[in-house]
Amino acid sequence: MKEILIKTERLSKSFSSGGSLQHVLKNIDLELYKGDFTVIMGASGAGKSTLLYALSGMDTPTLGKITFGEKVISDLDSDGLALFRKAHCGFVFQQMYLIDSMSVLDNVLAAGLLVNKDKKALAGRARELFKLVGIPEETIMKFPAQLSGGEAQRAGIVRALINTPEILFADEPTGALNSKSGMDVLDTLTDFNNQGQSVVMVTHDMRSARRGNRILYLSDGIVMGECDLGKYKHGDEMRHKKLSDFLTEMGW
Amino acid sequence: MGGSFNRNVLISRANIRKAKGQTVAIITLVILSSLMMNIWLMLSMDYKNNFGRYHDRLNDGHVNIAAYTVGEDFNRFIEDTLDKNPDVTDYSINRAFCSPVSFQYNGGETSQLGVILEKDDALARDVGEFEITDEGGHTGGIYLPMLYGMGNNYAVGDTIELNIYDEKFEYTVCGFFNSTMAGSHNCGLYAFLLTEDKFLEYSKKSCASESVYVSIRINDKMRGEEMETSLKEAIAKEFPDVTVAGNNYTLVNTSRYISQMICAGIMSAMAFFVLLIGVVVIISNVANYIRENMQNLGAQKAIGYTSRQLVSALIMQFSGISAAASVVGTVLSYCIFPAVNRLMIAQTGIPYRVKILPVPIMITVIFISGAVALAVYLSAGKIKKIEPITALRQGIGTHSFKKNRVPLDRSPLPLNAALAMKTTFSGLKQNVTVCVTMLVISLIIVFSGVMFENVLKDIKPMVDMIAGESADSCININLNREDEFISKLRNDGRVEKFYLFTNNNVEVQHVGGVSLVVSVIDDSSKLNNQSMAIEGRFPKYGNEFAVAAKYAKERGLTVGDEITLKIGNAEDKYIISGLIQNTNNLGKDCIMTREAFEKISSLQNVSYYIDFVDGVDIDGFNSEMSEYFGSDVNVVYNIYAVLEGTSKVYVSLITIIVAAVMILSCIVVIFVIYLLVRTQIGGKKRDYGILKALGFTTRQLVLQTALSFMPSVLVSTVVGFIISIRIINPLTALFLGGIGVVKCSFVVPVVFIIFEEIGLVAFAFAAACLMALRVKKISPRELLSGE
Repeated sequence: MKEILIKTERLSKSFSSGGSLQHVLKNIDLELYKGDFTVIMGASGAGKSTLLYALSGMDTPTLGKITFGEKVISDLDSDGLALFRKAHCGFVFQQMYLIDSMSVLDNVLAAGLLVNKDKKALAGRARELFKLVGIPEETIMKFPAQLSGGEAQRAGIVRALINTPEILFADEPTGALNSKSGMDVLDTLTDFNNQGQSVVMVTHDMRSARRGNRILYLSDGIVMGECDLGKYKHGDEMRHKKLSDFLTEMGW
Repeated sequence: MGGSFNRNVLISRANIRKAKGQTVAIITLVILSSLMMNIWLMLSMDYKNNFGRYHDRLNDGHVNIAAYTVGEDFNRFIEDTLDKNPDVTDYSINRAFCSPVSFQYNGGETSQLGVILEKDDALARDVGEFEITDEGGHTGGIYLPMLYGMGNNYAVGDTIELNIYDEKFEYTVCGFFNSTMAGSHNCGLYAFLLTEDKFLEYSKKSCASESVYVSIRINDKMRGEEMETSLKEAIAKEFPDVTVAGNNYTLVNTSRYISQMICAGIMSAMAFFVLLIGVVVIISNVANYIRENMQNLGAQKAIGYTSRQLVSALIMQFSGISAAASVVGTVLSYCIFPAVNRLMIAQTGIPYRVKILPVPIMITVIFISGAVALAVYLSAGKIKKIEPITALRQGIGTHSFKKNRVPLDRSPLPLNAALAMKTTFSGLKQNVTVCVTMLVISLIIVFSGVMFENVLKDIKPMVDMIAGESADSCININLNREDEFISKLRNDGRVEKFYLFTNNNVEVQHVGGVSLVVSVIDDSSKLNNQSMAIEGRFPKYGNEFAVAAKYAKERGLTVGDEITLKIGNAEDKYIISGLIQNTNNLGKDCIMTREAFEKISSLQNVSYYIDFVDGVDIDGFNSEMSEYFGSDVNVVYNIYAVLEGTSKVYVSLITIIVAAVMILSCIVVIFVIYLLVRTQIGGKKRDYGILKALGFTTRQLVLQTALSFMPSVLVSTVVGFIISIRIINPLTALFLGGIGVVKCSFVVPVVFIIFEEIGLVAFAFAAACLMALRVKKISPRELLSGE
């Protein structure tokens, strides 16, 4: 029996646009489990990013309830959500979003020091993570503009993991990278997931999606279906076929 | 050409639309600056000329002489002398009664040499006309200078009590008159017009000293001082027993416009300070604009705009805004000027009709727009270096990668402070803006602190500097009763100390120079204002004298120099023992010992300054003495009350100025902080979004933003404080140099100012926190969906 990490009940999100209300998420009931590598897929405009923002406390739902463990996060105000994100979440963005005026190490420590005041221990963990993602010591003192896209995204992953979050959210993490760098980043995420890190990733790239063990397909604000890839090993041809069949079924 | 202009207008309009808040803040700073600049120009270019206009309209004398205790042949002598002088163009001589006159004024007293004239006789004068400005239906009484009809002083129909020698005269105020040369206690003499019956009645009194009042017009009004000196010299030669007092165009013009000078000086300083801050803010804004709009500028270049067009658009944008704002500022200055005018008239006593002055408006608008255009031109130079392709690729670095000044793993600072410090180090132009603002505001804070301490809290330092020596009371007594008078003072328990300080408007002639009003003392150690001797010391011996520092400076005299002084036909050589400072005669004063004075003249009567133990009724004591010594007492006056009366107008002026500059400082701080915070948040919106996504709360980000300004606020406030407390006295002396101040020794209330500066820093921090609340509007979701 898997442990539920996040649960949504009748989660809805609407935006008003040009005087009319646009329902992006419609009564979604969902459970995300600890240790899973959940991938949210769907066509453009399906609401996958909106779902990610709502699950991660970046945004509040219009209706419905989101529970993280025992804590209802859908009722929190903006500062309450900030504290929630700080304590439980890590983020990897498509555009990396490293702060230009800070060194790579400082970008990571700025997030880390929010939780852990022990600078020495924190810097040690950061260095360890940098090593794990393959960023050499001399690079961590550089500024983001001096890094390649792949390096910047891997630095983003280190920042996301510095506080050992219970869940890592990744929004199109390979979207801005070339295929080699994209692969490296996916390998890194897979490695961390293999070590027990829960990951929720939004993507519209099949190669990226293959890294997940649970695929959710979103269409028109509704979870149309899900596919369990957990029983297939990475690199297994069946994994690819199963996903491909699922996506075909979903109308991909 | 037209197309290029239109394109520039389009770019400018787009820029303004994008930065409405910054535009409003810059407009406010320019309005404030132009408002003050226009008031300063109006005060400097036209207000003081009002004296000349009134002087011409009343055909007033360039030199006025009041000679008392005159005989029958005096008029003939004066007429002969003036007729023979080719510089004299016209004159009027009138019978008058001259004597020191004091009366209640501004809750205190005023005392000066009074010239009492018969009203109809005075109104018929060819030179030195008196113009009735207000009168009622009263037929018997007095007409006063219009200055005394202002505020809560006198109105037509009131009763005024004049103290003349030891007698009191009560008159009904029939009206008020305007006189440029005898219409204020700042003229060296003031006139009173009595109706015919009252004049006749007064002429029969024992204190009525037969006098003449002469008003003389000369070819060159700027040589009035010279003419006054030569005339007094001639009179002293022919009539050594006649006492002469007088004034001249330059002296009266300056002394009646002290408040105008103070106000204009402060207005000009404030106008330039605010403009300086405004220009620095604009420079910082232009730099930020270029940084934030690098891609747009690159795109504009890519589609064919030249650097010149882009720079021109910025110049047009800022100087256009500044020109419009400065026009608004000048219009607003006309709304404020009537209030400033009322404040000024309370000191000048000369009416001024506010009118539109195109020249100050033009200078203000052109100067401010020009300064802004130049600042924009110089700061927009970076646009020329933008290569379209590089800019479009965002390849132009906006951050220096040379050094990470606050590494988070090694910084001892808490996280929020460390991140704030990073922002501080990354915004050089922002720091310069903060530093310039806080340096200027620090100077203003120190100025207001010094004014508070030396004028509002305790006016003594101001009085010491302006008035020279002061005590509680002054009694002038004839020489034949001096010993008895001294003995009485010595045995009176109410008297704390007394000392000779005779200043009967007697002048000594500096041979080769001008006349100096002399004060005669016997023991300088008893003087209350020891700081009056700003160099060397007071005279001790019979061959010494101390001369006004301003005069000494003008004539190149120093301590130890020997000069010849003469009164009438008698002259002797004296050594300058020290330089003194007071502004009573605009720096044409000297102090001699009795022994020194009596080498060239003799005293007919002597004045003693008296200090009392606490709680003594000064007026009661003076009355007692007047009663006891009867007609041998010539003058008694309550110096304390006189100072209270005459200083009130300056206290009001300084109160308003201090309040105004403090309010202005707060406004400037708010606007500058607003601009900087807005620019910072606008420029770092992405960073704020990232930090929020990572879990930073609004409170933490507000704190970081406000803290990022604090290093430059603190450093510049401390530096500003240290510099300001050192320069405030020389700067004040510079401002007041025109009235005879050479050295200013105001008490600098360091502790009070430190508290003011702490208040300023706290205010800046609070303002920054308040402005930084905009961070709340930044949502991390926008960051994710925005790109």
